[in-house]
Amino acid sequence: LPASLGRSCLGRWLLATRGWALLGTGTGTGSCSCLRWRHQPPLPLRAARQSIGTQAGGLRAEKPGDNSKDVSVQRALNEETLVSAAQKVKEAGRDFTYFIVVLVGIGVTGGLFYVIFKELFSSSSPNKIYGDALEKCRSHPEIIGVFGDSIKGYGEATRRGRRQHVSHIEYVKDGLKHMRLKFYIEGTESGKQGTVHVEVKENLETGRFEVRYIFVDVETYPRRTIVIEDNR
Amino acid sequence: MEEYAREPCPWRIVDDCGGAFTMGAIGGGIFQAIKGFRNSPVGVNHRLRGSLTAIKTRAPQLGGSFAVWGGLFSMIDCSMVRMRGKEDPWNSITSGALTGAILAARNGPVAMVGSAAMGGILLALIEGAGILLTRFASTQFPNGPQLSEDPSQLQPPSFTDYRQYQ
Repeated sequence: LPASLGRSCLGRWLLATRGWALLGTGTGTGSCSCLRWRHQPPLPLRAARQSIGTQAGGLRAEKPGDNSKDVSVQRALNEETLVSAAQKVKEAGRDFTYFIVVLVGIGVTGGLFYVIFKELFSSSSPNKIYGDALEKCRSHPEIIGVFGDSIKGYGEATRRGRRQHVSHIEYVKDGLKHMRLKFYIEGTESGKQGTVHVEVKENLETGRFEVRYIFVDVETYPRRTIVIEDNR
Repeated sequence: MEEYAREPCPWRIVDDCGGAFTMGAIGGGIFQAIKGFRNSPVGVNHRLRGSLTAIKTRAPQLGGSFAVWGGLFSMIDCSMVRMRGKEDPWNSITSGALTGAILAARNGPVAMVGSAAMGGILLALIEGAGILLTRFASTQFPNGPQLSEDPSQLQPPSFTDYRQYQ
């Protein structure tokens, strides 16, 4: 009967039995080397147990239970190799669907990131132009005189009350891109509101937008228009 | 263009807090109903009672967490708007990051940084989606006004209204 086998890491001894062909070797110094084997028939449990007892040199640390685990693992491995091709196809299909879902998710996320980066960091985005125009408004003495010291700017009001969207229109005239913006400013003096109109034109050499005009409509009575910049 | 009779900002905090609580409570309610239903002994009465108990215990907790997140985010957002003086997507992203950091403050600085990064990225994605939607919605109406002339306020300054866009 075949001798016991275990995946023993205490192995100083090589087990070679009838049904088994050892492929790996345990080293003489007794270091932990996994003995690999190839087996044809599954080993009967009992024989394993018996042979442990009769093993010379004793493998005390190897409990019979371990052998049964090894045997069952080997049995399971054996059965798994018979898994059908249909199951493999199903699994492959499932993995493929998951992969597609992951790709779609990454694509959508990447697209959203691209949009937000372009909006915040590119110099030709309406948000950037609105920021620059607001800075110019803040440093203009006439505006400060009308509105007070701290001027705040905002765009169109959405349903929730957030006013982040600046209304803008892009159009092409004489082969150059123009953009018009409109936003509102308010100062510390109560009741004074103003509408700022900005137009920028694309400069083909530098590739950036430069300002054509900026003017502010003050909502007083009578209406007043303050021209901040006029480069036409 | 809608006119708001009052400043949106301080009242926006209450608005956002309540909205977040509702979202959390309703979503949590649905989830806990299904979970309680499934984790109860057999029998419709048992199951229904199990769902109800689960909803009563867990849904307000989830609503509360959401409300804390929403309220804190809105508070920081309004403070930034007040400080900077302009309304920007940057405010939202920074508010999201700070909210994440504050809510993870019990777990030490490294966790705060991670939570801040998550909050900032989440808000950036939401802002990006919002911008996309607005751009889409605006391209639905291709007939813009005619823009060939410069507005009349420029030269010479006149008192006539020149409404260029909606």
